[in-house]
Amino acid sequence: MLTESFMQRALLAALFLGPAAALLGVFVTARRMAFFSDTIAHAALAGIALGLWFGFFNPTFPMIIFSLVVAAAMMWLKSNTDLLTDTIMALLLSGSVALGIVILSLLEGRRGDLHRYLFGDILAVSWMDVGFAGALLVAVGGVVFTRLSDLTLLTANEALAHVCGVSVARLNYPFVVWLTVTVAMSIRLLGIILVTALLVIPPAAARNLSCNLRQQIVFSIMLGLAGSVGGAMLSYPLEVPCGPAIVLTCIALFCLSLVGKWQLARRAFR
Amino acid sequence: MKAQNSPCCEHAGETAVEVRDLRVSINDRQVLQGVNLSVPHGKVVALIGPNGSGKTTLLRALLGLQPIASGEIKVLGERRIRRVLHRIGYVPQRLVLERSFILSVREFLALRMRSSRNWFWKTRHQIDYLIGEALEEIGVGSLLDRPIAQLSGGQMQRVLIAFSLLEKPELLLLDEPTAGVDQPGEQTFYELIAQVQKKRHLTVVLVSHDLSMVYRHASWIYALNGVICCEGPPERVINEESLKQAFGIHVSPYHHHHHAH
Repeated sequence: MLTESFMQRALLAALFLGPAAALLGVFVTARRMAFFSDTIAHAALAGIALGLWFGFFNPTFPMIIFSLVVAAAMMWLKSNTDLLTDTIMALLLSGSVALGIVILSLLEGRRGDLHRYLFGDILAVSWMDVGFAGALLVAVGGVVFTRLSDLTLLTANEALAHVCGVSVARLNYPFVVWLTVTVAMSIRLLGIILVTALLVIPPAAARNLSCNLRQQIVFSIMLGLAGSVGGAMLSYPLEVPCGPAIVLTCIALFCLSLVGKWQLARRAFR
Repeated sequence: MKAQNSPCCEHAGETAVEVRDLRVSINDRQVLQGVNLSVPHGKVVALIGPNGSGKTTLLRALLGLQPIASGEIKVLGERRIRRVLHRIGYVPQRLVLERSFILSVREFLALRMRSSRNWFWKTRHQIDYLIGEALEEIGVGSLLDRPIAQLSGGQMQRVLIAFSLLEKPELLLLDEPTAGVDQPGEQTFYELIAQVQKKRHLTVVLVSHDLSMVYRHASWIYALNGVICCEGPPERVINEESLKQAFGIHVSPYHHHHHAH
């Protein structure tokens, strides 16, 4: 399995993206931004379709740019209109998916691609994607750990963060940018429909095993790593798509964490 | 306490907060329509008023969180509030945390202090040493390992007070700090504030609509309803006539008194 070069690429991408998504996920779930990530993921479909339309061989770059545009649009609409956040997201999510499908169906010979983008395709992971994923892990880890206190304060309460000298806007925008890039990059592996799972399930499983935020961060990174690499490895012998394999591995880990939680509670009770 | 930590001696007679003709509009509605107020150092001043009267907006403006249309705000002698934020302690109405976010009280308190902001890499003993003073004074030692999201209303407010006092502020801003706290908890909370205020000679600006607590603990009261309707010591402001002026309806100036049972 490891001698296949597409498998090496997929495993390396999983190795980098799993921990990055799981680390961001701790704050994404606490800040109720899971639906936001889902919208970004769906927006990426339009980005991919536009990239192919304009003749990009590897649509990663246009995908990231379009996702960032949609993220910016979401934030602008939120602060400048009376629209409900859910309405804004539903508008952009369905609009992007519809645009993506229309463009893909107009492109000759690309109609079959829809399935690959919706559910992920490890064959599509290029060495460039692996490089991007590696750089992304370093960047996300760097940003989160250097600004960990500020990010935690912002997650707890914006006014308190302000009083403690945190520039709320200066932290919010980079967070959204790194989240958007992570989501867009993970689509290759997990697919548009399943990508949010990598942001949500590892922190939730980690939560079951933790008594404080430090433990939750550490466990989340470990579970994100185990889920993404484990799922990618299982998908090969089982001959199943990589995205669903990763999600099901993450869910299995979540169930194990529930058992762990009950064990911990029982021991504490005694 | 060291002399330099005792602002009352440094600033005796000066004003801690000065607001001149402050106007604030939110979504085209004039929330504050020319507010003037002045808070001397070392005093406990309360802002009272009905819902929507602009109490919280005024407090947010004092923190530099609320853009103002016109007027002037000077906090601790400084117009640029960002410069004095480290000398201000703030207690919000409440902290609503997702239950999935398992921030412990120890970690939360560590976030306040410059010296413990890299808490992730410190041991619990190192953090406890850095935040020790607040623990003794406020008595939150037993809560340190608890996740913040699981605290009761009263415990949460204690933790927020401990948080706000960690960097030894000179000015404490409290925004309806006992909303969601039961009556005995509320009383304990105000007694704690009074005790700390006396010990540290803090200036306290407090937003509340609990008139009995305000009556007992504040030395000066501003009744707000878009503008300052009346001001003065509690016994002058908390009477039927001035309350009617501020709240627009009949409010009974009921004061709690302790009875020995």
